[in-house]
This record gives sequence, C-alpha cells and structure tokens, in this order.
Amino acid sequence: MNDYGHDLLFGSFPSPVRRPARQAVDLAVASERAGLDLVTFQDHPYHPGFHDTSTLLAYAAAKTRRIALSGNVTSLPLRPPLGLARAAATVDRLSQGRFRLGVGAGASWDGVEAMGGRRLGAGQSISALREAIGIIRDGWDADRPEPLRHEGRFYRVVDGDRGPRPYHPIPIWVGAYKPRMLDLTGAVADGWLPSLEYIEDGLRGITDGNARIDEAAVRAGREPSSVRRMMNFMRTGLGPAGQGFLDGPPEMWIDRLTALALDHGISAFIIGGDDPGLIIRFGAEIAPAVRENVAQARGVRQH
Amino acid sequence: MEIGVQLDADRTGAEELVALARTADDHGIGIAVVTGRRHADAWAVATWITGVTERIRVGVAPRSEPSDPFDADSAVPAVAEKATATLAALAPDRTLPPGARWTLVDADVEAVRAASGSSIPVVPVHDAEDIARIAPLAAAPGPAAPAGRRRRSALVLAQRVPGIDYDAVPASLADRAVEPGDPEHASVASTYLRGGAPGLVLRPGTVSEVADAIAFARDHPHVPLGIRSAGHGISGRSTNRGGLVISVGSLDGLEVLDEDRRLVRVGPGRTWKRVAESLDPYGWALGSGDYGGVGVGGLATAGGIGLLSRKHGLTIDRLRAVELVLADGTPVRASDTENPDLFWAVRGAGANFGIATAFEFETSVVGQVGWAQLTLVSTDIEQSLHRYGQLAGEAPRDTTVFFVTGRQRDGVWIVSLYAVVDDPDPDVVVDRLTPFLDLGRPVRRQAVLTPYSGVMGNAADIGPEGQRGFGQPVSRSAFVPELTRGFARDAAELLSTGLVYFFELRAMGGAISDVSPDETAFSHRSPRFQATAMSSSDDLLTAEWDRLRPHFDGLYLSFETDRRPERLTDAFPPDVLERLRRLKARYDPDNLFRDNFNIPPAPIAAGTDAASLTEDAA
Repeated sequence: MNDYGHDLLFGSFPSPVRRPARQAVDLAVASERAGLDLVTFQDHPYHPGFHDTSTLLAYAAAKTRRIALSGNVTSLPLRPPLGLARAAATVDRLSQGRFRLGVGAGASWDGVEAMGGRRLGAGQSISALREAIGIIRDGWDADRPEPLRHEGRFYRVVDGDRGPRPYHPIPIWVGAYKPRMLDLTGAVADGWLPSLEYIEDGLRGITDGNARIDEAAVRAGREPSSVRRMMNFMRTGLGPAGQGFLDGPPEMWIDRLTALALDHGISAFIIGGDDPGLIIRFGAEIAPAVRENVAQARGVRQH
Repeated sequence: MEIGVQLDADRTGAEELVALARTADDHGIGIAVVTGRRHADAWAVATWITGVTERIRVGVAPRSEPSDPFDADSAVPAVAEKATATLAALAPDRTLPPGARWTLVDADVEAVRAASGSSIPVVPVHDAEDIARIAPLAAAPGPAAPAGRRRRSALVLAQRVPGIDYDAVPASLADRAVEPGDPEHASVASTYLRGGAPGLVLRPGTVSEVADAIAFARDHPHVPLGIRSAGHGISGRSTNRGGLVISVGSLDGLEVLDEDRRLVRVGPGRTWKRVAESLDPYGWALGSGDYGGVGVGGLATAGGIGLLSRKHGLTIDRLRAVELVLADGTPVRASDTENPDLFWAVRGAGANFGIATAFEFETSVVGQVGWAQLTLVSTDIEQSLHRYGQLAGEAPRDTTVFFVTGRQRDGVWIVSLYAVVDDPDPDVVVDRLTPFLDLGRPVRRQAVLTPYSGVMGNAADIGPEGQRGFGQPVSRSAFVPELTRGFARDAAELLSTGLVYFFELRAMGGAISDVSPDETAFSHRSPRFQATAMSSSDDLLTAEWDRLRPHFDGLYLSFETDRRPERLTDAFPPDVLERLRRLKARYDPDNLFRDNFNIPPAPIAAGTDAASLTEDAA
C-alpha cells in the first residue's frame, strides 16, 4: 500500500475539438470555475477534427487566471524538444507558473508521419524521449552562460539559445505503460500520467507500474516520491453504475478515488468527457470529499 | 492607414511583448507581428495577445529553415499550419491571414506610406514611446482605391499575389473578381477534391467578358490558369495556388432550340443535375457522368462516360455544335460544317483550345429508367471483379452498370453497383440486374423507376460555401480493353495493398463503340471498361498502378492526376496527338491553355505562317 503524500489534484480532460471552435476553451474556463486544479488536452494535430493543442493551451491559459494546464500528453515527434521547452516556458511565464509539461514518446505513427513527423520504433521513441527531456531541462536552465549544445542519437543542437527561464520549475509528466517507459518515468520524470483504461490489469497494473517506477527512481538515486502518480479516467458518468471505474453515483467516485489515493498513491485525478455538468459536480462535490477523506486518513496514519 | 508593430522576442521577453501589444491595441494600431525566439516563443506570445486584447491582429514571422527531425529547435511545417488555423478559429479576425505580406520599415511617415498599398508596413517598437510616436500614422487615411473599383482594405490588398496586375482587371470583370483577402475567396478557392488558393478568380457572365478574361490571362503567362465550369473535376485542374481561375459558372442557361430535332443549347456552368431537371418535361435526357454535381463544360469537352452511355453514347457524341472563345479572344462556332477540325478537337481535348461558352446537344428520348444502387459483400474480390466484367461487358445496351469498391474491411470488400436500365418495364429492369446479385452477398438492394433526373438528383447542391476539397487528389485512370482474369487478379492484388480507398470500373462499349475512333479527339472507342483508383499516396499508387499497365490501353484525362508527360500519350494516341498538336499550333500557338493535359503546339517550320498549316488528317 503506497501513498507518496502528494497534495491532491483534480483535473479535466476536454476533447480539443475543432467544432465548436471554442468548446475546449469554454470547458477549461468551466473547470476553473468548478474549482478544479488542472485542465488538460490530448495532442493529436493530425486528427482533422482537433485543434492544435499547443495553441489551444496557450489560448486557454490566457483566458483563465488560476487553473494549471497541460498537454495530456504532448506528442514529442511533432514537437521538437527545444521549441517545446521555449513554448512551455513562455506560457508558464505569462500565466505566472500555471504550465505543466505532459509528454509522451509518440503514438498514432501514421498520423505523425502524415504530418511530416519522424516515425520511430517503440524502443527508439523511448530513447528519443529521454534525450528530449534532457534538452528541455537544459533549455529551461537559462542562467548558464554557455550556449546549449547537444549531439545525440535522435537530436542535435548547435549553439542553441537557452531560455526563457520558466516562471516556476515546470514538472514533466510522462504518459507511460510499458516497462521501459516506466523505467524512464522513474529515472527522470516528475510525474506518471497514464489513463486507467489503457493500463493492463487495471488496479493491479497500477501497483505493478508504481513498483517499477519506484525501483527505477531508487536506481537513479531519487526518492520514489519525487514522481507524482496521476491518472486519467476516460469513461466517466454520474448515472447508475456503468462500465467505467468512475461511472456511477458520486459516493462511488468518492470511495474509489479515496482508495486510489491511499492505497495506490494516485494524487491527481483527471476526468475525460465534455460534459460541463460533470466537471462542476466533480469540482464542487467529489473533490472536496476526497480531499477530506484523504487528509483524515493521512492524519490518522501519522499518529 | 493600416500599420503594424514588430514585437521582437530576440530583444524582449514575453511579458514585455504582451504589454507592448496592449499599448499598441490601446492606440488603435491594428496589427502586431511577433518575431525572433531568443527570449520567448513568438507563437505562444502571439496566441496570448489574442487572448488578452480586444482588437489587434497578430502574426508571426514565417520560419524559413527546412524541417529537420534531428534539429531539436526546428518546427514541423504542417503543425505550424495547423497552429495558424487553430488560432484563426479560436480568435476569429484576430490573426494576420497567412497570405498577408508585411514589410519592416522605420517609424517614418514617408517610409510607411511607401510600403503601404501592396503590403502592411510594420514598425519595430521597443517601448511605449515608440508606439505613441507612430500611433498618428495609424489614424491617417490610407491610399485611395483606383476610381470605379471595389474598395479593399489594406489587409486585403496585402494578400494580393505578386505577379498579378490586379489594377488591370478589365472593368467588365472587376465587380465580380475575387481576390485572396475577399470574404468570398474561400467559397471559390477549392474544387470538389482539390484544395486551392488562386490569386484571382474572374467570373465572366457573357461571351465578351470571357474574351476580356482571356485577354487578362494572356498578359499573365507566368502564373497558372484554371478554367472552371462547376469545379467538380476530379483532377482538380480548375483551381491552383497563386494563379488565375476563369470561372464560367454563371453561364448556366438552357434553352430548347428546336423541339422537333430535340436540340438544346446549354451553358458550360450548368450542372448536369439541372440539365436533367430541365429536359424532364420533354421526355428527353442527355447522358452525363454518374454525378449530378458535375458541370457541363468540363464533361462535354472531355468525353462523358456515364450511366446512359452504352445506350446513347458519350456526352460528346450528342454534341452538335459548340461555341468557344479562342486564346486570341475570337469567339468561334464549331460543328460538322463550321470549323470541323476544331469541333473534332474540342470533343476530347477541349481544355486546350478555348473556353466554351455554349454547347448545342441533340438530346435522347429517355422515359422512365430503372435506377439501382446495390451493395454487396464480397469475400473474393478477384472473382467479383471478373464476374462483373463478364456481366457488365456483355449486358444488353440498355444496361450500364458501374462497380465501386475500396479498402478491405474485416476481411471483406463492400461492393457498390450503380446501374441504369433504360427501360420503363420493371420486369425488364429486374431481369437485367438480377445476375449482378451473384457478385457477393447482397446487403442493400434499392431500385426505382425514375426519369433520368432522379439519377442525377443524387448530387448535393453546392451551397454558398462552395466546393470544399482540400489537399491534392491522387487519382489514376485507365481504359481496360477486356476485363480478363489477369486484370481481375492484378486489380485484386492492388486492392489488397490497402492503398486504394476508391476503385471504380465504368462499363463502356455499346453505343460508345459505334462511333469511329477518328470522329472525335476522344478516340478510345473500343475498351470495354474505364478504371479509376484513388489513394492518399501518390508515390505508392504510381508504383502499383504501373504494374497494371499491361492490362491498360490509354486513360481518361478527367480522372488522372499523374502529371508525368508520358500520360499525354496515354490520353491521346500518337496520330491523335499529332493532329491535336498541329491544331494547337493554329488555335493556341502561345499555349495559353496549358494547365490541363497540355498539348504542346507543333513546332512551326521557319517561314511558315501558323494560319496556313493545313489539316490533312481526317
């Protein structure tokens, strides 16, 4: 039973649909009004029905005041790392520290390639992500006087410009499922950001994933708690109990999320769906109750 | 006067750039262009500005370096394009249109005036004082529009394409001409399957206006020239990027000339759907293709292989006379007795010879026809193709059946058959079509008795938003003399690659073959079928299609997007091409009409007068 002790985050995952054009922005604003901590968008620019997520994130950040924003997760093969670092730092500065960098090694390779991105094999894409994370952090390290240089297997930087420095240390969250990605997450990432529906074996898979990340973190000389454990829930509903993990009355959500936090170390809960009503109730009813349960249980454990 | 400010991220950080944009917005300056990247990401800053200001439009400097996946600081161009489209959608009228040109100038009245007109003058600013200093320029009146011309904003003028002399557009066409920045440009930019961005669309409504448009095109030999009737053309040659389009869509009349001889006169811009509706009350029809949204002009100058062809011939076989405006602006009439060589050429290669302004057809008597759309599931596409070939090729003339399939799904192929039986007797219709149900497991059988207008009525009307094609269509065409076992095998193999999302066979023969090959420039009279394949990958389809060539004899130019020069000899066999080249030298010696299966004019021997070239074929 793990609890890494992170403060809890509650977030939403609106679809970045192109029509209606402002639906995703409106849902970001609704998420903020509902008291959520985080709004995230998937990144599939080759999908004709979707916006460019990078632009959507910057625009939604300009239209909100308090909520944090992240790609969930950003497709690295279409977003070369130094440019990605610069855009993230720029939005982080303008939003006064509200940007988070959710990133993945790449998926939907046909779409990536059709858009002019580089197709990599699974192993290669993980190595490329590892290189990229190094470049991104180097780019944010704006105070170092020497220009940025990198000569790797997948990326090259010749006398690159560092900066700007982000407003705050932007956490890097990685979408990971398979062992090598979990190892990378434990070794270098600040957060693990999978979707429950894609984890094999469900809750059991979370336990295994956590263990793998913990081991990798320790091997890298890090505390396991330096990696926040997060979770997306795509099938959600507040009706009578359905198929999804969060598909039932609020009490069911509260019980299950409390257990996920205390027993599986999950400290960020991000719900899919484009229903503003669901977002409001998640923020107003469910999140406070889960926070209270978890605070209470942690208090008892400490004594 | 429309002016912009340059916000330079190489000098200034994100927060300050946004503050400058707010100040510029407050001062009524209309445009902010964010450049550089040392201290901020220009696109993120531009996006943020639209979110926190009310009026100012934003743009960024285009990146010039090529995309390189190893360069950690490069950008993927298609992603950057998508980003532009996204911000334009999130913040309508707040972005600089992608085609708008701007010029960096000093904050000097004369420099700003000199730059305005064809581009937006953009002045570098580093602090609020810089902005206050140039703000009066924004309030000053801009250059006046030329007398008698539609007023266009500086932003529209900045989107004009270099190389097109917009101020020289003939007065007769100026009112209805469409430029890239005009609100209606999107509705005339694209065709059915091809995205475009023409630099100027001219829309003549009379024969003399067509001549005016041609004169304008003659003065612009360096830009592409598309000729459009209704914009359906699969090969997409009726649009382009940065060139001219002459659209004769408003020449769309239909008039009965002689009821006894069933002679009608039709404008090139009328769609076949509307032609069919107009002929209905007379009990007549004109065979067209298989889709009512196609325009008369494109089809009646290329061929017209349709659902009535086996009974009534190609569309061009019903043509009795055509009127067109030649490259030198001369209006001419061509028929069996007037300019017969031109009449021959227009029927198959018309796009090379002029812009047709009217067609006179002898319609066919067509009553109720059987019109069927059958859907079958095939587990053995090779067998289905072969069997279709036997049935459709040997069917009586009253029966024309087209075969359509695409990618395999869940191990099976969905085959759609589109069939017309020109017979009002339902028993005959059922009799003719029943054998085709063998091609697979029928899952949908829909057959009705209808006038031909019911067949053409399948097309959706084109709304005010116009044609909405995007990208470049990839299509191949071939005539298939006989649908052999070998063809069925190789076509099945092609389909199994998954490369082809649309594959069609059109049955020919019948009345098409009654006409002698030298009667019209369309000379493919003997093939039994026309095959079309569409894919998303040009290179891959080219390789696969080339493997099928032994089964082919020529191609139908309307369905072909391969622009390699050897395709010309597929469209026109050597003797036909030779004759066309001599006629091209006579009617369009400077090769004005060059953008659709261009026939190079025959070289003219020294001392020979082009007009004296004699026509000895035929």
